[in-house]
Amino acid sequence: MSSILSVQNLNKSFGNKHVLHDVSFDLKPGHIVGLVGPNGAGKSTLMKTMLGLFNYDSGSIKIAGETVTPQKHESLSKVGALIEYPGIYPFLTGWDHLQLFADGDHQLIHIQKIISQLNMDSFIKRKAKGYSLGMKQKLGIALALVNFPELVILDEPMNGLDPEATKELRDLIISESQHGTTFLISSHILSELQRLAQDLLIIDEGRIVQQTTMHELLASQGKQTIMLMTSDDKKARQLLKKARFKTTPDPRVEVVATDDNTMPEVLRLLVEGGVDILDVTRLEGNLESSLLEVLKQSRIQKRLAEEEAE
Amino acid sequence: MWTLVRQESFKLTRRVSTWVSTAFLVGIEIVFAFLSRVYPQTFVPANMFESLYFSRPIINFYMIAATATIITMEFQYGTMKQVLYRRYSRGQVLVSKWLAIFFYTFYWYVMSTGIALLMKALLFRHTLSIHQGAGDGMSIFTRGLAISAASFVSLWLLLSVVFLLANLFRNSAAAVSVGIIGYFASNIVTQLLTILIQKWDWAKWNPVTMTLYPSMLSHPGYYQPLLRMQGWQMLLGNVIYIAIFLGIGYYVFNKRNV
Ligand SMILES: Nc1ncnc2c1ncn2[C@@H]1O[C@H](COP(=O)(O)OP(=O)(O)OP(=O)(O)O)[C@@H](O)[C@H]1O
Ligand SMILES: [Mg+2]
Repeated sequence: MSSILSVQNLNKSFGNKHVLHDVSFDLKPGHIVGLVGPNGAGKSTLMKTMLGLFNYDSGSIKIAGETVTPQKHESLSKVGALIEYPGIYPFLTGWDHLQLFADGDHQLIHIQKIISQLNMDSFIKRKAKGYSLGMKQKLGIALALVNFPELVILDEPMNGLDPEATKELRDLIISESQHGTTFLISSHILSELQRLAQDLLIIDEGRIVQQTTMHELLASQGKQTIMLMTSDDKKARQLLKKARFKTTPDPRVEVVATDDNTMPEVLRLLVEGGVDILDVTRLEGNLESSLLEVLKQSRIQKRLAEEEAE
Repeated sequence: MWTLVRQESFKLTRRVSTWVSTAFLVGIEIVFAFLSRVYPQTFVPANMFESLYFSRPIINFYMIAATATIITMEFQYGTMKQVLYRRYSRGQVLVSKWLAIFFYTFYWYVMSTGIALLMKALLFRHTLSIHQGAGDGMSIFTRGLAISAASFVSLWLLLSVVFLLANLFRNSAAAVSVGIIGYFASNIVTQLLTILIQKWDWAKWNPVTMTLYPSMLSHPGYYQPLLRMQGWQMLLGNVIYIAIFLGIGYYVFNKRNV
């Protein structure tokens, strides 16, 4: 079976500015895949190219086994997308928009379903020129999902959504993916992505620097930190320093756990040193720190490779 | 394909400007019909009917604006990407816009002709017979239709340029101004044009000459010798230029990054 989206050796330039370098990846059906990387890494460009909005220099893009080019892309009937910001006609109502972009069978049922899933009943019959930022964003997401496509591509979907709407969207994405929909989501809200994505594509300066699962990334970079609240933080810090534990420069007392023994050793040290422990928390590795670490490593390696080449 | 044309038409019908401009055009026709009734010496009823009570220039301006905005509004509202990343090819999207504008032009001509006939029936029931001869073996009515057909064709020559410019610049101001300048240019440069044509016969085949097609029909015998063109040559020239400009626009649209 061909995968829903397969990109091979994709290269894309704007004039003589090379923006995507030999990008290759496949999406597993039914997975939620996060596309992360710094500003200007090429996330939006990659998504737009996959959607036939940009010409590309070389490589191939296949959706459900069919090649996508700007001129011809029938397979995009299987795809829904929201790129950067939603395009909205101010003179149409939200309902008009959904009607305009609904396609295939059961259009009316789909429209009503998406409206209730995203809680848009209160404003859907109003002209879009009066919508707030979040309403527009919801409408954009609804337009991406209205045909209940096999692949959904979302660029910064949480932009401007309130906590309630963010949760509704998260629930919707998870439930659709359980029904087999594949999602490719770029976001800078890493805490949100950490809750959603199973797989990760990390992109920097137009190159895929790592394709991994969320679980592997967190585990590999998973330096665990032990955070302590004590009766005497100053003394605790001194004791820890003397015993050569790795602490963080944070104002709070934090110890980097190198192995499973760290926690009991730290606790014994402090209790024996006469410091009362009020609270202990283990901080799991999080996506943000892991991502920063991966990017740092890849840049160092790239620099080394460049120096060697010279 | 027809789904796309229907969607474009739907967007047109939902714009307030469509209905405001329709009301305005109807108003203009009524005003000129009354003027013609009250001052038949200044506003000769036969000529006024033939000119559809002054609606053709207004239709031209509307259509230039509508053509520019049907393309540029998609860029302005950021909706072009949504329109394009569907199963339809780029060519289909563009052609559906051409067709929507084609039917929209049709709408204007049918409507203004209908109003003109209505005005004639209401205000000139006994004073004007549109079936009386008006030279060239044509009646006032059929001459009016012929001029409409000719201005439809040469309007489309302008629109094909406007389509191209709207695509290139993504900016309706630029496309509309060039369209309107194009509309006036033909009348302004007629003299220069005739001098050139008297000197070099082949110069008559330039696109500006083609826009004089409706004028040629409404002033029989006047332009023909000046431009050294027959009606059928004008028609052919228009059609060829329309095809060329639309073709370039199609190429540009297919190549562009959105
Ligand atoms: N239309 C364009 N013309 C020229 N250069 C462009 C164009 N679009 C993007 N770029 C360049 O391509 C690079 C990648 O941009 P892109 O928008 O894909 O980044 P991104 O990863 O989406 O960033 P962000 O997180 O800020 O959204 C940038 O260096 C940008 O300047
Ligand atoms: Mg972006």
